[in-house]
Formats: sequence, C-alpha cells, structure tokens
Amino acid sequence: MVQISTDAKLFEDLEAVLGDRARSGDFELGLYGKDGSVLQGKPAIVCLPLDTEEVRQIVSICRAHDRPFLARGSGTGLAGGAVPVGDPVIIATAKMNKILEVDLDDRIAWVEPGVLNLDLSKELSPLGFHFAPDPSSQQVCSIGGNVANNSGGPHCLAYGVTSAHVVAIEVVLPDGNLALLGDLTAEPRGYDLRGLFVGSEGTMGVATKVAVRLTPNPPAVRTLLLDFADVRDGAATVSAIIAAGLIPAALEMMDKRAIEIVEAFVNAGYPTEADAVLLVELDGLPGGVEHGVDVVRTVAARHEVGNIRVAADNAERELLWKGRKNAFGAVARIKPDYYLHDTVVPRGKLVEVLEKVYNIADAYDLIAVNVFHAGDGNLHPILAYDSNEPGVLERVHAAGRAIVTASIEAGGVLSGEHGIGLEKRDYMGMLFSAHDMATQDLIREAFDPQGFANPLKVLPSGSRCSDSFHQHVPEGAWV
Amino acid sequence: MMKTKLDLGIPHSDLASCVSCGLCLPHCPTYRVTQEESASPRGRIALMKHAADTGFIDEEFVEFMDACIQCRGCETACPAGVEFGSMMETTREALATQTSYQRWWRRVGYRTLGWPNFLAFGSRVLSVLQLVRVLPKKLGLPQIPLVQRKLLSSGNDVFLFTGCIMDAWMRETHRAVQRVVEATGNGVQFPSKAAACCGALHVHAGLGDEARRLAQRTMAAFPGEAPILVDSAGCGAQLKSYGHLLETKEAKQFAERVLDVHEWLADHINELPQKPEKSGRVAVQDPCHLRHVQKSHQSVYEVLGRYIEAVPLDDEGLCCGAGGAYSAFHPDTAADVRDRKLASIERTGAPVVASANPGCLLHLRSAGLEVRHPLEIVDSLIAKDV
Repeated sequence: MVQISTDAKLFEDLEAVLGDRARSGDFELGLYGKDGSVLQGKPAIVCLPLDTEEVRQIVSICRAHDRPFLARGSGTGLAGGAVPVGDPVIIATAKMNKILEVDLDDRIAWVEPGVLNLDLSKELSPLGFHFAPDPSSQQVCSIGGNVANNSGGPHCLAYGVTSAHVVAIEVVLPDGNLALLGDLTAEPRGYDLRGLFVGSEGTMGVATKVAVRLTPNPPAVRTLLLDFADVRDGAATVSAIIAAGLIPAALEMMDKRAIEIVEAFVNAGYPTEADAVLLVELDGLPGGVEHGVDVVRTVAARHEVGNIRVAADNAERELLWKGRKNAFGAVARIKPDYYLHDTVVPRGKLVEVLEKVYNIADAYDLIAVNVFHAGDGNLHPILAYDSNEPGVLERVHAAGRAIVTASIEAGGVLSGEHGIGLEKRDYMGMLFSAHDMATQDLIREAFDPQGFANPLKVLPSGSRCSDSFHQHVPEGAWV
Repeated sequence: MMKTKLDLGIPHSDLASCVSCGLCLPHCPTYRVTQEESASPRGRIALMKHAADTGFIDEEFVEFMDACIQCRGCETACPAGVEFGSMMETTREALATQTSYQRWWRRVGYRTLGWPNFLAFGSRVLSVLQLVRVLPKKLGLPQIPLVQRKLLSSGNDVFLFTGCIMDAWMRETHRAVQRVVEATGNGVQFPSKAAACCGALHVHAGLGDEARRLAQRTMAAFPGEAPILVDSAGCGAQLKSYGHLLETKEAKQFAERVLDVHEWLADHINELPQKPEKSGRVAVQDPCHLRHVQKSHQSVYEVLGRYIEAVPLDDEGLCCGAGGAYSAFHPDTAADVRDRKLASIERTGAPVVASANPGCLLHLRSAGLEVRHPLEIVDSLIAKDV
C-alpha cells in the first residue's frame, strides 16, 4: 500500500494491532469522509476494531503519534459530527455489534456501540421490552451514535431522549485509559459524568460498552393520522393537545410537500391533498389510550381537522411510521441534495416560526419541506436543492442561517437531537456568550486537554487555547 | 495501488440521486455481514462517484464492486428511489469491457450457459462423477440427474420458460409446475432450444453484449401472444427487463407478456383444485429478484396458502447469499450471508422451506435444509388424497 510518509509509521503500528482491519486505500478512505450530512472530509486511516482493548490500543497509538481520532457509528449523523477534520484516524465501531447481556431483573442490557438501534429493540421484543429512543434513522443508526448525539426520536416526547435511557458507559478516554461512567444504581456517585458524556459528540472519548435501560412494550397502542387544510390549524392542535393535559407517545407533523414525497415512497394512503398532517400515537393501558383518542378527537375538532384515520392494525401503523421515518431520504424525489436543520422552538411559537421558514425559503428561491417532532417543538426544516445549480449553496447557507436566527429569536435553540457537529459549530455564538463557550470548553478540556477526540467539532475554533489541528476545512463546509 | 482509466458511463444525475442517508445499510446483505462502508450500497455509489469524477479506478475499486450480490434489496429500502441495480450493471459492464475484470475462462463459462447440448452433456459428466463419488461435497452441487425425460407440451395457453441450469439440473421442477398450471385447465407449451438462457448471469457479470444476444434469441423462441410463465425468480426478473436491456418496441412488448408463474396462478387461484383442509407449515424464503425486483412475492403466499400455512421470514427479505454465480465466486461471504437467513428460517419452526428461485434453493439446500420449489409442494399436495 502506498502511504504518505508521515502516516507510514502510524499505519504500521495500527496494522500491528488490527491486521487487515486497518485501512488506508484511497477509495475506501473517501467513504469514511462522509456521514448523512452534506459535508465531506477525508481521514488519514480507518480502523475497524472488534473490542474495547483494540479501541484502547488505537487511541494509545494515536496519542503516541500526536494524531487525533474520531469515533464513528453508522455514519448517519446530519450535522457532520463524524466528518473528519484535521486528518484524524477514524475508529469505526460498526463491527462492535454484540448485545453482551440482557438483565431483566435490573431491566438493563449491556451492548456494544455498533449495535443498531432497531436491532436492539427487535432482539428485546420477544421479552416484552424495547429501547425507547427511536430516531427516524433507527433501522441503521447505532447505540454509540445515539449516545454521542443524545438522540431523540418521535417517541421521546413521552419517554425522554437517550440520556434518560443510558445508565452507564464504558469509555476509552482520550488519554487511552478505560473508565466506567455511571453505574447501575439509581443515584450517581459524585458528579454525573455519564450525563456529561451522553451528547458530547465524541469529544470526550470513545464509548465501548453501553448499559441501556429496557422499556416495557406498552399493552395498547393507537396511531391516528389527522389531516388539516391549513398547516396553522395543525400546529395549533399540537399545542392544544398538550394543553389539554395529554402527553402522547409521539406527536409528529408533516407539511404538504413532505406528505407528497412520503406517499410516493410508501403508498400508505397519506392524504396528498392536505396542507398538513399530524401523526399522533397514544400508548399505555387500554382505558387510558381510548380516553386519549377521545381527547385528541375533541381537541382536533375545535381546530378544523379534516379526516381522522385510526390505524386498524399493526401493519397499518407500521406503514404510517415507515413513511414518517423515511421522509428525509425521500426528499431526493424533489431535488438531489438537501440541507436539514434541527432547531427547537417553544410549542406556542410553532406557527409563527413555520411561516417564517416558508417566507425565508421563498426569499432565497428554495424549496422548504417540513417534517418534525411537533410535540416538543423540534423543527426539521429541510431545504431541498440541486448542488449543480451555480450559486445555490450560498443561498442555502444564507437561508439556513436565517432559519436558525428566527428560531433563536423565538426563544429556541440550535439543535434538538442531531447535534452541533461541524455544521452548527459556528452558530454556537448566536446562542452562547464567549463566557458560556469558554466554560463548556473547560469541561471538554478536563477530559481531553490536547483536543485529540473528534477535533474541531461542537465548539467554534478559538474557544479553546489548545486547538492544534487548524487544518483544512472539508469541502462543502460552511464554517 | 495501480490506477487504471475507466469511463464509467453513468450519468452524474443518477449518481447524485443518492443523498447518502444510509437507510439502505441494514438491508444490504454484504453490509450486514461486514459492517463496512465499502460493502454497502451507499458506499458503492460513493465509490462510483469517485471513479466517475476522477476517471480512474484501482484494484480495490474492482474488488468492492465485485463483492455486491446484486440482490437489489437496497432499492426497496431506498426512500429516494435510487436505481442501484442498473448503476451496478453499468459499472460491471464498464469493468468487463474496459478492464480485465472478466477473465477469458469465466467468459467461456458464462457462454456455455447458452449451449443447451453442451450443458446437458456436461451435467451428465458431473452426474457420473457424483455417482462414483469423486466430486468433493463442499462444491455444494445438488444431485444431478443422469437421464432426463423430455418435457412435453400440452397445449398453447401459456408458455413455460425452462432456462439453462435449471433445465439441466432441476427439470422435474418444471414438470411439477406444468402439472399445477394444467390443473387450472390450461395447456402448457415449452419453447424451442433457442430459449436456452435468459442472460441474467451475464448482465450481473457485466457481459452486456452476450446478454443482449441471448435476449434476442430467447424472444424469437416465444412466438404469438401467450403469456410467458417463469418458475425461476431470477430468470423472470431478467425476462421482464428486456425492454430496458434492448430498448426496442418488440422487447417491451415481450417483457409485458412475462409473468412469474405464481403471479399467473394467483390470478387463476379459483381454478386450482380445492382441498378440505390445509396440511402443515412451510417457511417461505422470498427470492430477492421476486421481492425486490419483480415485487410479486406475495403471489407465492397466495398460491401456497391455498394448501398449506405459508410462514413469512422476519428478515424483511434480506438476501440469502446465493446471487446467481455469486455463491460460487464468493463462497465465504455467501455462507456468512446465508447464516442470517438460516437463523431467520429456524425462528419460524417450520420443517420445510419454499423457495421460488433455483439459485436460492440450491444455496439453502447445501446448508442441509429441506428446500423445495413452492409449486413442487403445491403439486404434491394437489395429488395427495385427503
């Protein structure tokens, strides 16, 4: 294999540990330069470890060579969190995909980071349990990635996000040492370092084992599809349902364009003539669920709901969810590229911000598609475009910034669940003061003084003194 | 690594239709067993993009492209409707015509599929070798018949396509299919020897010219307008794609006449004899080219379900690893992929597996399972006195 000379020794050392699971081929490296976002970088070397000890050795070798590293799960992140910057070694944990132990007494399972989210729930299903966080990408995203991004998902409205479902994590720290963060008891001993690690986007080390909480499968589930002739009525219904004292398991919204592309993929009978639909799921004991259905019907009737369809069986329910969960990918039916934002706004401001999103898209001559977790105000405005159109990237960038600004002005935040990564790194200043960011940086430095773990992500460069990898910014990055 | 020039010939807009969301990954059999990007549909498209942008490839690229089973499970999973199969076929054809991807001995091997007399002779030699037990078992060959009775037409309501390997090794399946079709009161006509091979394996190997030649020959062997029934999912998918392959009006008209035999039977379900009760359970393996390409796998359940409880697998149609000639060229990957299928079959608890594709059937059988063509099962149940 041809090696860039400075990398040759590093590769040799990694190869000694991993054999043919250390990779440096030109074509293959390119594949690990990308995740689900539009950003593209290129790693120095890709490592495919099988266990904790191999991860520990990779990190130690990187340290010895002063080389940063980046942990990668399934590579479906949408904020460039797994896009390599600063020539790192990629530690792809996809092959670490074993469910190590299921403990029904403690209701936890120890899993490796490469276990896929949906695989875990499918495996637990015969036992009557599941892993509650269910990102739209759950069929492919990994538990390690969920931990890194503190991932959400439609059902996190009632069940809480990943942090509420991870009790302990085995971590290879950036100095190559192994640590157990959190434990199986109810109360943390000392500071909740587990809580700190969840959502740290790979900047505090590499998770090598995760203890996840098992959630019992609900005895009854009802899924309703409500359609509205006006998107504003849909949004108002969302707030009114919560205000009525109901917390549905999931409360999702899709606008007209989203309905059209999703229907073209799943043929689930989504009403393509509607301006918006709400997908509402209620679960729990049968009596409570039926009561919830009544509440939703009553509330929706006050807000000009059109048709209310209740999924007759599990197959219909799954088909409706399949549509919702494939919406992002289906955007390619309109344009080959998309840029997805992930802001959160107070529920009461949904209508206002949505209207701004449409106006912004119009102003920049772009197509906006909205499909999002309405129940917790987590917007996912998608800007669809064709990167071959000259100058379109600048417009997408400007529109994105305007959407983020509008969300923050409405009292919202930058990211609900996709993380900051690379994509939103330089927006951090819109939300946090220099002092805030310096404080966050101190925490990061406590774990990783030299900035070896996923460098140049999350916090803007300059917020730390020790940034030593100010090298090229990947193609397509607007940072 | 040695760089070689390659003109991939895939339009940029096709390559750009993948947004790299990754939703295909768990539905790709080779990603499932390797967990490596290079063995995923998203990765393969990115590799094609890189090759198209630079105009160069290396051996690694060829290896990655050759590792694809071409099951097209990714197409069913893709929310953007990316036509992966056709991009992979174009890539393979570019490799076969511009590089040494298909060596001469492989080309000769593929060519013999279109020579029925040679195949019959070769099969007889294999059969003798099997009888005197000199062929190693690990080759995974089925028991090849030494003598084959001729198939006799019984009318001209429908054609039954017979194919190459299937006719040489599994002709009794055709006979069972014929009996089931006849049970609906329709007569079956067999084509001349010109319809020797559909060309599916050639397309998969990138041998486009050979495939187009076989397609022309095959089409000529089915005069008239009678429906053309196919009892091999892989061949059926190929015959249905002739319009796309040849881009002629005749080819499109021909393709419209092609039906998987189960599709046709599902439309004639009430003409099939009735039985007072269903007997037993059978696990149904959905061949990829029936489920992901022809999208008509449900008809197998309809036909089987009239006589026996047909149990679907819980793996969302993940490939079994057979992939035409794939299991011969990549035995290790094919076996790893098959292990997942075996686990899924085991979870059904059914004693027998039905597979509507000869490649899948033989591949699963070589793991020691009892696997039968769905219509062989139906044939024996119709014949049984209850």
